[in-house]
Amino acid sequence: MNRKIFYRLFVLLLLSGMLLSACGTPAEAPAEPAVEPEVPVEPEEVKDTFIFGRGADSVQLDPSLVTDGESFRVTGQVLDSLYAFEQGTTNPVPSLAECTPNEDASVWACKLREGVKFHDGTDFNADAVIFNFERWRFTDHPFHFPSQVFEYYEAMWGGFDDASIITEVKKIDDLNIEFVLSSPMAPFLANLAMDMFAISSPAAIQAAGEAYGTPNGGCVGTGPYKFVSWQEGTEIVLVANEEYWGEPAKVKNVIIRVIPDDSARFLALQAGDIDALEQAVVEDLITAEADTNLQILTRPALNTSYLAFNFKILEFQDIRVREAVAHAIDREGLISNFFGKYGSVATNFLPPLLLGHNADIKDWTFDPELSKSLLADAGFPDGLKEVTVAEDVTDADGNVLYTAGEKIPLRLYYMPVTRFYFPAAKEVGEGMAANLNAAGFNVELYLEGDWPTYLGGRRNGTLMGLYLLGWGGDNGDPDNFLGYFYSSGAEPIAREGWYQNADLAAILQEAVTLPVPEDRAALYRQAEQMLHDDVARIWLGHNNTPLILSAAVQGYVPQPVGAENFEYVSFSN
Amino acid sequence: MGRYILRRLFSVIPTLIGVTLVIFLFQRLIPGDPAVAMLGEHATTENVARIREQFGLDKPAFLDRDALAEGDLSGFFDSQYVRYFGRLLQFDLGDSIHRRIPIAETLQERFPATVELALLAMAISLTIGIPIGILSAARRNSILDGTTMVGSLIGVSVPIFWLGIMEIMLFAVILKWLPSGGRLSSGVVIEPITNLLLLDSLLTGNWAGFTDALKHIIMPAVALATIPTAIITRMTRSSMLDVLQEDYIRTASAKGLAEGIVLFRHALKNAFLPVITIIGIQVGSLLAGAVLTETIFSWPGIGKWVYDSILGRDYPIVQGVTLLIAIIFLLVNLLVDLSYALIDPRISYE
Repeated sequence: MNRKIFYRLFVLLLLSGMLLSACGTPAEAPAEPAVEPEVPVEPEEVKDTFIFGRGADSVQLDPSLVTDGESFRVTGQVLDSLYAFEQGTTNPVPSLAECTPNEDASVWACKLREGVKFHDGTDFNADAVIFNFERWRFTDHPFHFPSQVFEYYEAMWGGFDDASIITEVKKIDDLNIEFVLSSPMAPFLANLAMDMFAISSPAAIQAAGEAYGTPNGGCVGTGPYKFVSWQEGTEIVLVANEEYWGEPAKVKNVIIRVIPDDSARFLALQAGDIDALEQAVVEDLITAEADTNLQILTRPALNTSYLAFNFKILEFQDIRVREAVAHAIDREGLISNFFGKYGSVATNFLPPLLLGHNADIKDWTFDPELSKSLLADAGFPDGLKEVTVAEDVTDADGNVLYTAGEKIPLRLYYMPVTRFYFPAAKEVGEGMAANLNAAGFNVELYLEGDWPTYLGGRRNGTLMGLYLLGWGGDNGDPDNFLGYFYSSGAEPIAREGWYQNADLAAILQEAVTLPVPEDRAALYRQAEQMLHDDVARIWLGHNNTPLILSAAVQGYVPQPVGAENFEYVSFSN
Repeated sequence: MGRYILRRLFSVIPTLIGVTLVIFLFQRLIPGDPAVAMLGEHATTENVARIREQFGLDKPAFLDRDALAEGDLSGFFDSQYVRYFGRLLQFDLGDSIHRRIPIAETLQERFPATVELALLAMAISLTIGIPIGILSAARRNSILDGTTMVGSLIGVSVPIFWLGIMEIMLFAVILKWLPSGGRLSSGVVIEPITNLLLLDSLLTGNWAGFTDALKHIIMPAVALATIPTAIITRMTRSSMLDVLQEDYIRTASAKGLAEGIVLFRHALKNAFLPVITIIGIQVGSLLAGAVLTETIFSWPGIGKWVYDSILGRDYPIVQGVTLLIAIIFLLVNLLVDLSYALIDPRISYE
C-alpha cells in the first residue's frame, strides 16, 4: 500500500514537472540569482552579455603554459601583452609598452605604460614584466614549476636559461626596461605581441602557485575584462574592467560557453542562446548565409595545409617522383570541394598576407599524364605501389620500426581530426588518393591512430609515406612558418619527414636577424622558391576560418593572429 | 541476508582490483603518449621526456624486471600501477595530467550532473515503460499493443544524436520553450547541497531555480530515456505475456477477480524479476553511456569528460571515472539481487 502511494506521488511529481516546463516562459536566462517565482526577462535594448559558443574548453588560463587557441580566446580578454596585433592585421602595435631598438636590434628599450594596474589592484611596472620573463626563462625560478612547460617561450625565444635569446631584462626605472638579446631578432615585437607572452600579476601567481591558470586559480592581468569564474567544461565568465587603461569594453559581461556538438552549437545560435560561434559545418554555413538574423565573418588565413614526403623513403629522394606527386594532385578541385569558398589554393608555405610570400612562384599544374611520364623517367613505368625504406627508422625509445631495405606499401597518412587549416582531412585524403592512383601511384589511405599518435609519428619522423598536415601562424612573422620548420635543416629534421637543406637553413637563419623588412622579404621569397624548386612539400591551401554571429553583433573584427578583442563588441537594437 | 550482503561486498574488492588492472593495461595498449597529447604540435623531445618524468610515465607500467635483475627490490615495485594503487588506498584518484587539478574535485561537480540526468531518464523510462508494457500484454494484438511494439522498435532504433538535435530544433529554435543546452542559465544560482540541482532547489525552496533546472534537463532526459523506455516496455510486455498464460492467472480470473488485481497483484510480481534485471543494467548504462546526450546538450557530466580524456590520454581521469562506474555497477547489481528476495518469496539469501 505504501509503495503504491509512493508510486502515485512520484508520477504526480514528474507529470507536474513536465507540465511546468511546457507552460514555462521563453528560455531567456534570468540575469540575477533567482529567488522570485517569476523569471525576469530583460528588455533587448539593455543586452549587456556577449556569449561566444565554442567546441572545446580552455586547457589553462596561464597563457604561457598552453598552446591551444581556446585558452588564448579567454586570456586575450583578461591579460595584455607588451605589444598587441592591430585589429584585423598582423602588425604589432604598442600595448603595455612601446619599444625602440638600438642600431643592430640587439637591445630594445621599452617604455612601459604609466598608471596601469592589475585586476588585483597591484601596479603594472618594470618589476612585474621582469618577474614574468624570468619565470618563463629560468627553470630554477621558484614559480617555474617542474610540472609546467613554457613551450612557447622555448620555441620563440630560443630556449630556457642560457639558451634564451633574451639574455637579460634590465630595469632602468619603474617604467623603463631594456631587453638585451644574444643576437638581433627581427620578430622581436611580433613575439612580444603574442598572447602567450601576456603579463600576469606577480602577486596573483605568488598567491595561487601552481594553481594559477586553473579553474580554481583563474588569471589576473590588466586587460579589458576581469576573470570571474570557470565552470570546467561549461563556461567561463568575465566582467568588464571598469578601470581599464584603454577604451573601455562596450559589453559588460562576456560568457565563453562550451557546446561540443557543431550542430547543437549552431542551433543554440539560431535559438538566441549564444551570440557567436566558431567551427561550423558546411551545411550550417549554407543555412547561415540564407538567414537574415545571422552574419558570417571570415578570419584572414594565416595557415597552410600541406602534403609532406618522408625522405627516409628511397623513392622520395628522387625529385622526379616528388614532381610526379605534385602534378598528380588536383588541388583546385580538392580545395573547392572540401574547403568550400573559404579556402584558396596555396603556392607558398607563407600565406599571402605574410611578409616574404612569393607571388612569382609558378604553380604545379594538374597533369596526370606528366606524372606518369615523370614516374617512368624515374624508373617506374608501371607505377609505384611499394616503396623502400632508405635507412632504419626508430621510435622515441630507439626501437627499430622499419629496417633499411624493407619494402612497404606506399601509404598516404591522413589526419584523424579536423583542424582550422584542414576542414576535412579524411575527405581530402580520399580525393588525393584517387588523384594519385589515376596518375600511377597505388597509394594506401592510412590512419595512424588518433591525434596524439599522429603528432607523435610526425615528431619522430615515423609516418613512412606521404602525410597530410598543416600549420597555423602564432605571431604573423614569416620566421614562425619557414624558420620554425626549416632553419635547423643543416641536418635531417625528423619532425619534417627528415628533410635536409643546409642552404635553405642558412638563408632562414640570416633572415631572422635582419632589421629591415624588405631585406627579410627578399630572403623569404628566395626560401620559398628553393622549397618549390626542390619539391620539398606540396602546399595545398589556406583556409579563411568562418565565424557565424547574430546579426545584432557589431564591432567584432576577426584577427588573423591572436585572440579577438571582445571589448569592441556591441549590440544593435 | 546480512551475511550474504557482507559476502557480496567483500567480493567487490577483488573485482575492483581486477578492474583497475584491466583499465590500466588497456589504456597503455592504446598507442599515443599523454605528454604528446598535452604538449601538442609544438612538442619537443626534451619537453615530452620532462612531462613523462614529472607524471611518472617514464616508469614501467606494472613491474620493473630490470630493477629486479639488478637486485633493486624497491625499484622493482616502483611502477606506474603500484604508484597508482598506493594512491588509491589513500582514496586519492590523482590529478589530471592536462589541467593539473585533482580529479576528485572535478568528479564532485560532474558526477552529480550525470546522476541527476540518469535518474530522471530512468524515472521517465519506468513511468512510461512499465505501465505501457503491462497494458500492451493485457491487450495483446490490440491497436495499443501494435502501436507499443512499433513505438518501442523506433525507440530502440532512433539515434540519440538525431533525436537530440530534433528536440533542440523544435523546442529551442522554433518554439523557444526550452534552452538549447547546459544545466542552468547563467546568473541562476542554486545553493549546492547534493549538487543534484532539482533536489537542491526543492530543498532550499528556490522555485525559480527548480524551473530553470527542470527546463534544462527535460530534453536531455527524454533523449536519454528513449532506449531504456523501449527496452523496459518490451521486456515488461514479454515477461507479462509469459506469466499471463500461467494456470494460476487463469484461476484468479476464473474466480472473478478484477482485471487490475490480477494484473498488478498476481501477474506483475512474478513478471517483474527479469524487468528488474534489465532496469539494473540500464541504470549502469545510463550512468556510463551518456556521452552522446551530454555532447549534444552540453551537459556537464562525466560522459563527455571521459571521452575527451581518452582522446587526450589523460590516464588518471579515465582510471578514476572507470573505477567509480565499476563500483556503481557492482552496487546496482547487488541491489538488483537483493530486490529479487523482496519480490519473490521463493528466493532467499539466508
